[in-house]
Amino acid sequence: MKPAVEAHSLVKQYRGRSGTVDAVRGVDLQVSTGEIFGFLGPNGAGKSTTVRMLATLTSITSGTARVAGIDVAADPDGARRCIGAALQEAGLDPRQTGRELLVLQARLFGSSSSAAATRARELLELVDLVDAADRRIKGYSGGMKRRLDLASALVHEPEVLFLDEPTTGLDPASRLTVWDEVRRINGRGTTVFLTTQYLEEADQLCNRLAIIDGGVIVREGTPQQLKAEVRERRGLDADPTLDEVFLDATGRTRDRLAGEVQEVVA
Amino acid sequence: MSATVQARLLCGRALREGLRSPEALLPTVFIPLFFLVVNVGQAGKIFPSSSTAFLHGQGYAAFQLPSSLLLAASFGSAALYLVEDIEGGYFDKLRAAPVSRPALVLGRLLAEAVKSALLTTVLVIAALPFGISIASGPLGFVLLLVLTALWAVVFAGFMQLIALKTRSAAATNSGGLVFFPLLFLTPNFVPRHMLTRPMEIAATFNPVTYVMEAIRSLILEDLAVAPVARGFGVLAVLFVLMVALNVRSIRSYD
Repeated sequence: MKPAVEAHSLVKQYRGRSGTVDAVRGVDLQVSTGEIFGFLGPNGAGKSTTVRMLATLTSITSGTARVAGIDVAADPDGARRCIGAALQEAGLDPRQTGRELLVLQARLFGSSSSAAATRARELLELVDLVDAADRRIKGYSGGMKRRLDLASALVHEPEVLFLDEPTTGLDPASRLTVWDEVRRINGRGTTVFLTTQYLEEADQLCNRLAIIDGGVIVREGTPQQLKAEVRERRGLDADPTLDEVFLDATGRTRDRLAGEVQEVVA
Repeated sequence: MSATVQARLLCGRALREGLRSPEALLPTVFIPLFFLVVNVGQAGKIFPSSSTAFLHGQGYAAFQLPSSLLLAASFGSAALYLVEDIEGGYFDKLRAAPVSRPALVLGRLLAEAVKSALLTTVLVIAALPFGISIASGPLGFVLLLVLTALWAVVFAGFMQLIALKTRSAAATNSGGLVFFPLLFLTPNFVPRHMLTRPMEIAATFNPVTYVMEAIRSLILEDLAVAPVARGFGVLAVLFVLMVALNVRSIRSYD
């Protein structure tokens, strides 16, 4: 079976007045079809840039990326037909109603008017926004916007769904609702590529994880494999939490952090 | 789905957006009318219709109306809404869909053409009490609508370029101020041959001059092919240039 997402030596450089910035410095990834793949990293590590390259939104400086078997640089429109994307900012038009937004999105993906209306109704039911469907989006709460954003990424039943920090800024109840949606979407066969800063989220949802730091992948495996590796290497009695795995992978440990605090106190 | 259908869908969305922000439309009616009243009030007596040949028997307001129509057509909000889309992430949502890049550009520009045609109609009706009539008749009025709509598309295209490049509402807004020098380096108050030599040269090199003269000829005279053709010619070149630059900009947008 072809991998859902495949990246080889993916590099992104930004050239500015102050010189060249290496945002991503050679990422290799392989995500199997049907997985929920977690992509973790501290702020500025290159998570969003990687997702934007995979979702055809940012050009690739060097390397290759394929989504659903399609080269995103060579055939971006072909890749777009297989990709759904809900990015960091809930990408919505506040002046449209939820229903109008979904119908327009479905039409842009090639649905007829009647098919788009039907699909919008299905998605509004899926994300529990039927009652708010004909209200303008500017009046929606943060959680409602996130759910609508998620729905709009699903209008064309994509093979791969990119979710870039989908629960940032949400209250715990809304976060749980989004988690349920992600599981439900994945249960229907969609591969989910999820970036998050919430390690509990990754632990709860993801079959496999990669941790990126400084533009390169520093750890990759199932949550259990990553925890076991740290436990063995550091001679711990019990599995560490994913927070500890993350701190370890990004060059920080609780000991080091504690040491830094003591120095400040002294 | 063809790019034409996609552009039409995005045009529909942009028109809905405009209708749902009526507060943004009001100044585009009020300010051009304000300029018409002020300019006629200041210079109307200098050019009485009975003894001013270039007015062709109409009042000075008829001579001034093209400036107000072009001013109104330059108040398009497409670029500012585009910045909102960029800042809010909706532009990325559209870019992540298999939408033709020219359709992404043309959707909003088509909406500007429709809005401009409606706005021009409102302004011409509002100008009727000043004794203005469209001397070239119904066909001339339709041509006038097309000319102002094309100008609206060209100027909105220019503003969209700034929006795509800077992604900043402040910079885009400032870009709109470019219109004022362009408007005043034209035969705005008197025909071109009555301008001082330096102004005449500046006006000759200013494309807005030809659009203004085409509209003015439709208002003041029977249908005259030469000035109208020049106006359409200039707009055709600017239209192709702006759409090409917009498409290039959106294709290289990262």
